[in-house]
Amino acid sequence: MTPRSPVTAVLWETWRLTRVEAAWKLAGGIAGGLAVLALSAAFAPADDPRRHEGFMDMGAAIAMTILALLHVGSWQSLAKLNGSRAGFPLYLHFWRPVRTAVIVGLPLASVTAMSAVIYLVSALVLRVASGYAFPLLPVAAWIAGVTAVFVAAAWSTRDKTLPVLVTMIAFAFAWTTVVERLTAVELPDGFDWPPRLWPTLFDFPRSDYAWLTLVAVAAVAVTVAGVSRQRRGDAWIDVASAPRDGFWDRLVNVFRVPCPTSSATRAQLWLDLKTNGVPVLTIGVATALVILLVSTVANPIDAAINAHPDVSCPIGECFYVRPWPNILTPFALFAMLCLGGNAFDIRRRQGRAQMSAFEATHAHGTAQLAALKVLARSACVLAAVIAIGVSGWLSVPLLGDAVFIQMWGVPVSSQLAAINGAIAALTGYEQISLVIVAVVGLVTWVAALAVFGALLTRHSRRVILAASSLLLGGVALALLAGAESRGILSTPVFDAIVTAVRWMFLAAMALATVYVCRSGFAERVLTVGYASGAVAMTAAFAAAWLTVLQLAGVRLPGMSAIDAVTILSPALLPLLVSVLAPWSLSRIRHT
Amino acid sequence: MGQIVDVNDLSRSFGGKRALDGVSFRATAGQVYGLVGANGAGKTTLLKHLLGLLRATTGSVRVFGLDPVRDPVGVLSRIGYLSEERELPEWMRVDELMDFTRAFHPTWDASYARELLESFALDPSKKVKELSKGMRAQAGLIAAVAHRPALLILDEPSSGLDAMVRRDILDAIVRTVADDGRMVIFSSHLLDEVERMSDHVTMLHAGRVTLSGALDEVREGYQRTRVRFADHFDQPPVLDAALALEGGGRLWSAVHNEPLDRFQHAVSALGGEVFESRHATLEEIFLARAGRSRQPVEAA
Repeated sequence: MTPRSPVTAVLWETWRLTRVEAAWKLAGGIAGGLAVLALSAAFAPADDPRRHEGFMDMGAAIAMTILALLHVGSWQSLAKLNGSRAGFPLYLHFWRPVRTAVIVGLPLASVTAMSAVIYLVSALVLRVASGYAFPLLPVAAWIAGVTAVFVAAAWSTRDKTLPVLVTMIAFAFAWTTVVERLTAVELPDGFDWPPRLWPTLFDFPRSDYAWLTLVAVAAVAVTVAGVSRQRRGDAWIDVASAPRDGFWDRLVNVFRVPCPTSSATRAQLWLDLKTNGVPVLTIGVATALVILLVSTVANPIDAAINAHPDVSCPIGECFYVRPWPNILTPFALFAMLCLGGNAFDIRRRQGRAQMSAFEATHAHGTAQLAALKVLARSACVLAAVIAIGVSGWLSVPLLGDAVFIQMWGVPVSSQLAAINGAIAALTGYEQISLVIVAVVGLVTWVAALAVFGALLTRHSRRVILAASSLLLGGVALALLAGAESRGILSTPVFDAIVTAVRWMFLAAMALATVYVCRSGFAERVLTVGYASGAVAMTAAFAAAWLTVLQLAGVRLPGMSAIDAVTILSPALLPLLVSVLAPWSLSRIRHT
Repeated sequence: MGQIVDVNDLSRSFGGKRALDGVSFRATAGQVYGLVGANGAGKTTLLKHLLGLLRATTGSVRVFGLDPVRDPVGVLSRIGYLSEERELPEWMRVDELMDFTRAFHPTWDASYARELLESFALDPSKKVKELSKGMRAQAGLIAAVAHRPALLILDEPSSGLDAMVRRDILDAIVRTVADDGRMVIFSSHLLDEVERMSDHVTMLHAGRVTLSGALDEVREGYQRTRVRFADHFDQPPVLDAALALEGGGRLWSAVHNEPLDRFQHAVSALGGEVFESRHATLEEIFLARAGRSRQPVEAA
């Protein structure tokens, strides 16, 4: 295509930059939604129509949530142009003879419209496939409005804290408003927004659309003004005259520990802890403190609100603050696990992803470098997870049982003693096994994310192809499960397919381990010392895994061969990931 | 003197583009090697192979007799490197950068680092992100040279720097080279800089080595000769002995590496005569070699 005007050129560039992400969002939404719907159909109890309907309704609600959540946050394909830093990512346009309104407005409008269209198409496909009335225009309008705010927050300032705050506030506002609308009617014995009521529940008032339009226009105006400052250099001057670090940079410098000069390993560990570990740990500890603080003040605040004469609650007492620690804790744990990614510190800028040449040219063995990076990040993620877990645990008695019964129908608070008792009843070896499984599992997770990032950087097409194949395979299996539950596919045939797939998976895992070990030693990426450590860690994990299986009541002797091998296969994961980590780091260190 | 770098028949492609094409390059200790070439000629690609940042797909690379990909510790512990992008951790303070680099090199010369910091007037408490481009290059250079590496690799060391900083950097390099047995390989598109600093020059064009040798020998081997023809030429005359011709009408200047008597003979055959000859500058040689590849008809 030959763009004939600045407008078409900017639109064309935006399309070129975002089309892959758009395709992923579209495919991910449709595939994820279909998979959830197929799984619901497969596992819904056929003999109980009421439970069957509830199961299917829940599946449809999850599918719709997936479609909406895909659009939370800014567009990563644009954000990575400036290494996900705050500010306008298409800054190369600053030197072009085009008005700021054009270089800002067109990409912003494009991604906003694209988000809405992706949702519309996905919802339409799920609507046709499932027969459920997935809402179209109302949710698409909300997604467009929220996307405009997210993008505006990310582009309009070089400050890193402000976009995070605006995004959180916008998301919280959108979420609570939608939830308030959808749960306005309390339905007994069921969740509050079943698909049969969607046409009514999602029939938002026209004032919503007016507000959304106003918000979108304001977002464009704010972004144009903010980017104009960046383009004029005002933002740069601010930075130059009074250097202000970004949020992450501030966290990097939280603890001023001098760099050890006694050994290269200590110095590298210092670097990794400063850049990768301490920021994660600081976020984790801060979140843990927030959870505890909110838990402490939740009861008095809720009591005060409920006592107010103007407040009427259909269920006796309402829960305004008390649910938040329960919602925040699992989200925070998940966020910490996500922050465990990119342990190899791969940088992205203007479409290029690479390891820092500064680190790549220091005299470190690749295996040692990979181990240091993964262990430093894992240690800090683990500490952050423990902090949040302890905080969540301590908050349970502070919140009281009522909120847990309201949310999940379970009096968690009164079960704490039972949980404590169960743990105390374990032998020391069993307790140590649980700890080993948790710790090695987390290290394996961090290493696996690092490996995925490195391989995606070096062999992006092959990795995307493999991931797509796995995703499609999963969807196909889910559809086959649905077909089997409805009697379209005979059970023996389905079982044979599943068994074959499981054998293939296990064989692939074993072969990959052997291949990477062989290749790693041949290239001298793996050292005997490193491999010994990996084997020792895997052996410890395997022994602990067996103990945990026994604790869970799993009896291997009575199982079929495939079931036994499948249930034991996680024991191989630490070894596979351990050898893959230096191997994949070598691929980006020596391209 | 021992051979430190041995690159043999190295080729490398990125996508469909051939970045290096059968490059062979050898370098011995105690010398300064200048790599010259136009943008995209393959200078940085060659340097990255020496550092092990790129894997040799065809051919071989040996530095200190080792493969830099298979033995990064053995190679990188004896190398100092300044990248073209001056890639340094932005959050680090200058003194932290020095401490961090020092941990990797037992041979770190703290007094030399301090001396360089003072001569560059760098504030050790400043963060890398607060440094100007020139100061960042200076900080990177100190980190690269203060452990007195056996091999110093500088990728476009003076790119984007002002004359004063450029002179400081060149001085530092000269000081490093002054130590016996050390070697510098640097790439540059500033030919006067290469001419001033190098003992050897290697010219790359479109991924190929078009010229390599001791600078003095190279300069002596090429001459710029002025020629007067009896006839008027609108286009450059066909003169096989010349690498490049410029001028017009009856007066032309040729860069050639033929002995002068053979060149004179070729000119006489076209009815011309040589009336002035001198050694060619590196820039003239570079333009002639690069121009020959770009415009074979004209050169022929």
